[in-house]
Amino acid sequence: MTLTRRDFLRGTLGTTIGASVLGPGVLKAGWKASGSSLVTVVREKNAMDADNNVNTAALKTMLDQTLIKLTGKTTPKDAWLSLITPDDIIGLVPTPHLNPTHPEVVDAVKSSLVDAGISAEKIVDAQGGPDKPEACTALIGLPGLKAHWLTGIGTVMKLYIMYSGNPQKYHNENSANLGEIWNLPFVKGKTKLVLVDALHPLCDKGPQVDPRYKWAYNGLIAGTDPVAVETVCLRIIQEKRKKMRGESWPLSPPPICVEAADKTYGLGTSNWDNIKVQHYGWDEGSLLG
Amino acid sequence: MLGKLPDKFCVYTIFLFIAVLVILDGRVFSLKNGGSDLKNGRIDMNQSAPLLPKSVGMWTRPDSPQVVTDKNIFDYMDGAGELYLGYRFDRLDVYEYSAQAQKEILVELYFMKTSDDAFGLLSLDWGGDPVESISSSQDEEAADFAWPRALYGEGLLRLWTDNVYARVMAMQETPESKQAVLSIGRAIVKDRKSPPGPELMGRIKHSLLADWSLRRDRSHFFRTHHVLNSLYYLSHQNILDLDLKCEAVAAQYENRVSEGDKTRIQFLLVHYPDSNRAKQALGHFHEVYLPDHPFVTKTGPSGEIAGLFSVEEGWMAYSNRTEYIAFVFECPDEKTARLVLDQMF
Repeated sequence: MTLTRRDFLRGTLGTTIGASVLGPGVLKAGWKASGSSLVTVVREKNAMDADNNVNTAALKTMLDQTLIKLTGKTTPKDAWLSLITPDDIIGLVPTPHLNPTHPEVVDAVKSSLVDAGISAEKIVDAQGGPDKPEACTALIGLPGLKAHWLTGIGTVMKLYIMYSGNPQKYHNENSANLGEIWNLPFVKGKTKLVLVDALHPLCDKGPQVDPRYKWAYNGLIAGTDPVAVETVCLRIIQEKRKKMRGESWPLSPPPICVEAADKTYGLGTSNWDNIKVQHYGWDEGSLLG
Repeated sequence: MLGKLPDKFCVYTIFLFIAVLVILDGRVFSLKNGGSDLKNGRIDMNQSAPLLPKSVGMWTRPDSPQVVTDKNIFDYMDGAGELYLGYRFDRLDVYEYSAQAQKEILVELYFMKTSDDAFGLLSLDWGGDPVESISSSQDEEAADFAWPRALYGEGLLRLWTDNVYARVMAMQETPESKQAVLSIGRAIVKDRKSPPGPELMGRIKHSLLADWSLRRDRSHFFRTHHVLNSLYYLSHQNILDLDLKCEAVAAQYENRVSEGDKTRIQFLLVHYPDSNRAKQALGHFHEVYLPDHPFVTKTGPSGEIAGLFSVEEGWMAYSNRTEYIAFVFECPDEKTARLVLDQMF
């Protein structure tokens, strides 16, 4: 089956994606949430200065708050230890280029893990080919928030594209299949946390950066349900686009990978009503609708 | 007299040696700077590389560029490479100007196979401020129809000069880096031709039916369905059978009078290599996009095949004449859809 503009207008996208990816009548069961998926959005007005340099002290505070609010624990250490164990080989997976994850964010996560008693030798860079996740027992996704001209959004679902060993296989119409990478045997179940660098996101023309479409959101977005996190990211990008133009400005092409990750691959929920968004800190321009 | 001959000989020899060096250096510099001036044993002026200044303000570039071809473009820019391969791409030269205590200035020179393709890349986003000083004095386009040739915004300069599309980006915008970016832009366009935009863009009417006017900032030239999808989504699949041999325009019109949702219509015009390709493409489009409407070919007085349909977002219509297909989407009523296509052909 072929997806068209009319499927989106009729609201039959989920059915059409399921049928086109898996064949007619083979739609998988969607996300079976035991409750709602929690996504935290922590923002700090001074997280970057006027020249967009990262304030590392503010970033540390934001990260600590994210960990505590997301897990319900009282300290960052307890929060980490509820997500991972000291025996884990922990792979950090940042967005490597074209509006990449700020290195300060990666460093802050590393330091926080070490402070929690994790040996530095057990924390590795896991962005790259299939051998990277194979060597890890736990993954922490650290994508940069950005729109993408081929997939609509290029943040969470696209983060593991190199793990496929064949990234071009997931371009264009095949971007609906990005979720299958998360179900590869050497990836499945390893993602313990998705922490999105939303300090300085890109809302159009990604992945090639046009600074006119970047803005200081100064946020960290986190959750353990990757689809819910992506759905919140999508909301922020779409609201920013609407604000920039003063009218509806839908992402084109539409980000089919998000709904497919839910309805076809069962990775989480893309239903806004099933996502519990908790926002902390700087409220102005939160774009959460 | 005889005693002075060696001196003269020496002077002539040195002069000749210097002249040869200058010529050779120019050749070497040009090759370093561009990489493929010599093509099939001849100098292809259309492909000659702009001469970029070695230094501009505080910034200095390396002697030679990083050369990116269709073979390694994904290594350089991941999936963004599909954008450039969606036009007729030849190669990309990348320079990074650096300076002490300053962030870099990145210069990307995209050498396209035609001027239309370089125009198409700029046409994807008409945002930013037009830079008059970079529009060439040799502009071959009538002033009232002229499209901007250079656009600047927040540190990024994008420009079209003959077969080159360029992006010059200061990693941090300061008054100094802006001046440097604009100086590099002027060097890129210097002594290059400024042909008019694609002929197909000239077919787009500036107003329709008295009430509808063209949004010039939403008028784009393209060739492939990936690019179409980034402008106006129809389908993830290539239902218009587009490829690099096609040329197409997407344009939006805005109603000057009415208010509410139905204030815009979307127009597409595709030029196929021949009329058979156009007919086949129309059949493919209809089969996939309008499966609930029978494909009834109605031939008009000029031999065109036309159709009018009520769909989810208003009325749409198409018309195929020879190797062209025109489409209009999101019309508020049947009459508007029909009249728009009548005016366009």
